[in-house]
Formats: sequence, C-alpha cells, structure tokens
Amino acid sequence: MKDDSDTLMTTLPTPAPRPSWRKAAIAYALIAPPLLLMVFLIFIPALQSTARTLTVDVNGTPGFTLSRYIAFFQDPVSVSNLMFTFQITLITLLVIFLVCFPLALYLRFANGRLAGAVQVLALFPLFVPGVILAFALIRFLGTRGTLDTMLSIAGFTGFRTPYLKPDAIVFGLVWESIPFTVLVLTAGLRQVSDALIESARDVGANNWQIFWRIILPQISRPVLIAFSLNFLGIFGSYTIPYLLGPAAPQMMGVFMQQTFGQYRRPDDAETQAVITFLICAVVGLLYVRTVASQRKQEQDS
Amino acid sequence: MTTLQPASPVVPGFWAGTAASFRAMIRRNGFGLLALIVLILVILGPLYSVVLWAFAERWQYPSLIPQEFGFTFWERTFARADIAEALPFSIILSLVVTLLSAVICLPASYAFARMKFRGRQLLLLSFLATNAFPRFGLYISIAVIFFRLNLIGTVQGVILIQLVNTLLLMIWIPTAAFQGVDKALEEAALDVGASRLRVFMQITLPMVMPALSAALLLTFVNTFYEAQGALLIGLPRVVTMPVLMYSLINSQLIVQYGAIVSLVLWLPSLLLLIVAQRLLRGGYLTAGFGV
Repeated sequence: MKDDSDTLMTTLPTPAPRPSWRKAAIAYALIAPPLLLMVFLIFIPALQSTARTLTVDVNGTPGFTLSRYIAFFQDPVSVSNLMFTFQITLITLLVIFLVCFPLALYLRFANGRLAGAVQVLALFPLFVPGVILAFALIRFLGTRGTLDTMLSIAGFTGFRTPYLKPDAIVFGLVWESIPFTVLVLTAGLRQVSDALIESARDVGANNWQIFWRIILPQISRPVLIAFSLNFLGIFGSYTIPYLLGPAAPQMMGVFMQQTFGQYRRPDDAETQAVITFLICAVVGLLYVRTVASQRKQEQDS
Repeated sequence: MTTLQPASPVVPGFWAGTAASFRAMIRRNGFGLLALIVLILVILGPLYSVVLWAFAERWQYPSLIPQEFGFTFWERTFARADIAEALPFSIILSLVVTLLSAVICLPASYAFARMKFRGRQLLLLSFLATNAFPRFGLYISIAVIFFRLNLIGTVQGVILIQLVNTLLLMIWIPTAAFQGVDKALEEAALDVGASRLRVFMQITLPMVMPALSAALLLTFVNTFYEAQGALLIGLPRVVTMPVLMYSLINSQLIVQYGAIVSLVLWLPSLLLLIVAQRLLRGGYLTAGFGV
C-alpha cells in the first residue's frame, strides 16, 4: 500500500495516525456523492423491497407477514421459473468452467502465434454487447441459420434448432462469460510459479496431480471470483434468456420484467426480486469477501 | 495414421519421420489447434451471419453467402424515424452519463487514494455492491421506487439507473491510478516552489491520464450498450438504441434492419477493440473484479 499520511508523520509505522478532522471532513465530502447515489439506488431499494414484502400482505393489510412468499411458493408457475433459473445457472456455470479451465491453462503455459490467436478469439466476446449477441445467435443457431446451412452443405440433415429452447440460453450465457472467466483464471494461473510445477514434475507427479494438488489450491481466489460473479450474472440475466429462451418456463429476470411491465403487478415483481436477493446473498457475500481478502493480500505483500 | 510404413526404400524412415513429427506437433499443439477451430466457428460464426446479412439484398437457404449484395436496406434503415431518433439520443445520453459519473466519482477516487479517513477500505469495498446483487432483481427494486416517484419513462430515471452501473469502474480504476502516482515527484515539485494546482495539473494528472481515459472510455461504451435498465425504466417514452434492438429482434420480419443496426451499434466497441491491448495490459478490463 502506498503511504499517504502526512509528510511529517511518514516515519510512523501502521496503524496510521489519526488524521485531523478537517482533512477527514473534506475526504468525506468528496466521497459522499457516489456513496449517496449507491445508498439510495442500491441499499435502500433492496432493503425497502425486503421490508415491504414482509410487512404488507397480499391484500395490503400491514403487519408482519410471509403471505407473499407463501403465495409465490404455492404458485406452480413461479416455482417452476425459479427452478428453471437454478438449473440454467448451474448448467451454464459447469459449461463455463469446462470450457474456460482448459483454455486458461493452455494460455498460461503455451506461447507463440497459435496461443495468441486463441487468446484474441477467447477475449473477443468482451467487445460484443448482449443485444447484438442475441441477434447474432438467432441468425447463427436459428432454423435456416448459418449453422443449419453449414451442416446441410456438409450433408447433415435433421438439424434441430436450440433457439427458443434452454440450450440457446446456456450457449449465449457461456459465450458472454468466456472472456471474463478466462482473464480471471489466467491472471490467477500466472501467480503459480513455474519452479513449483517443475519440481513437482521432477518428483514424478503427472499433469492431473499437478493440476489438483499444486495449481488448484493456489488459484482458489480467482476461481471463487469467477464462480460468484458468473453465478450472479447468470441468475440476474435478462437479455439472453428473454431473446433466446422459451416462453415457458422463464428465467427470473424475464419473469420479473413481465410481472412488472406487462402484468403491472409491482408488488409481485418485488417479491420475486427479493427471492433472488436472498438466494444470491450468499454468493454476493462470497464475492465481496474474496475480493476483499485478495486486496488485503496484495497490499500486505 | 499410426501404421505408415516407408513405401520407398530410397528414403527409409522419411515418411515415418514426417508422421512422427506431425504427430508430435499435434500432441504439442493439438489443444491449441482444436481450441482455435472451435473458437473460430463458435465466436466468429454468429458475427459472420450478422455482417453478411447487413449487406445482403437476398439471402436464401441453403447458401453460405447471400445471393445478392447491396445497400438498399441501409437507406431504408436510416429512413426509419425511430432509428434516426434513437441513435443520436443514445450517444448524447451515454455522454451525459459518462460526464456525470466522472464529476461524481473522480474527486471521490482522489479522496480514496490520497486522503486518510476512517472506514476508507470498507467504503471503497462497498462499491462492489453494484456487482454483488442479481442485476435484474435490483433493477426491479429500483423500478418499484421510481414507479412511486413517477420516474418511469423519464430521461432522469434512465440516467440514474445507468449511473449506478458506472460507479465501480469510475471509482476503482482512478483510485488505483492515483495510488500509483509517485509522491516523491510531487513533493520535489512543491519544494522548488510549484503551486499545488500546478503540481496536480503538470505532474499528477499526466501520470493518471491513461487510467482516466480508460475509465471514461469503458464507462461510455458500457453505458451505450446498457439495455436492461433502460428498458425497464425508460419505456414507453425513452427509447435508446439497444432498447430499440429488442423490438427489431422480436417483431421485425426484415432481417437486414437488425443486422444493420447491430453493425452500427457495434462501432463504439470497435474503439475499445483498437485500444484493447492497452486496456488489457493496464488491467482495466478486469478492474473491480478484484484480480
């Protein structure tokens, strides 16, 4: 960490000297605008939604109640949408790691033009925004789309399009997540020293053992960050499931938008939103804690 | 092929040698080659269709390229009133949001980097909250409040929801940059009598400029493509380009409109792509993720 205490006090070790109240006041004034914006647009809406769904029941009578949640879990459509969101999230996460771990390992240990080209392609989705991706995937995966055409030219008929099926959602979400996941994992892998791997190999460890025993334990933080951010991103996604997925069941994002925008039932949409908050709270905390401990380690070293 | 025998006695071992070295190359680069081929198909395949559709007059199945190329749909696309209106509006909106974000966040990031106060680390970390919620659930919560405040369908509402998305980047990247500035240089300049303002303008600012421009560029591009918040808060009166894309995708029979708008919309990303190397080296692309 850079030392940014007063010049007179630079000789003092941490903990830092108590700053003068005037300086602190200026600092608080400077950080207040973004902080207030965040408080009013993230913390207060989230807390207020949680409070309201617990204190006003389905008929609008005040008092502590779980009736909205009971109504949600008694509604088969709501439950199937929630379960569908879970399924898609877990399957997508699995595919992301199956695709990105080999890619990241390859990029960490390979050099040369081929590796460069693979890296460029793996990072390319960073530069393709969601709506354009959705449109492109419809043209690519849809009936009579590019993939269909290529297969039929190759003599393969009977192509069944994944468009408007859960597979298309998984495909699109994986597509979007590849660059971030590969970046995070390769950054983590670069911290694993070559010497350590070499010495493990010298004592006869095979690639598999090296991966599980040497590499994986050292990149647990990047893996956790990739896991949690992807989980939150998929669980809270809207564009890809809305444009590529089936009409039913729906992912929670699409379901909430429809409840709020089309059916004009903000109370129900709010209940659905709070349910996603509660489910994602553990993962969100995991993300914040991992980033915090990573930063602490970087600053201590 | 594993059973290749030397066919000619003249160069014994020639074929065997070639096959072996080829096999070695595959073994060494097999994964790389496989990854390259799959990625070309999967990553570039979808984009290939969009680019060709934008310039296609007629493209019938089954053909890998359009039967006729042309520009007539470009004229028709830009003759559409909704597109002609949404494009400049989206650009101005993204500029306004980026500017507001800079005004709000840059002083704060300076404070985070250079001043000492209680709770500094914790407050800096609290901005991770923008990532720690399932995004669309959060938007619904905000929308319910905006609904009561009559902010649904207003430009102010859209600006606010898009501003929230910019906070993490616009605070974390500049904070790291300000922390990286060598204080000895600034103190040396102060010692020889330079004013604080002059030190800031001539020493501090040039050193953080690459990071600041990266933050501004990323914020602009991210905001330009932000579609979900704008859809939820903006409709029916405020329509940005990405929001218009939803309806072009869902309810437009002419494929070319969507393809052309996609290409035009993609231009700001091209800017990013041009400076991608620098963004990557500076670590800006993963800034805020904690890696």
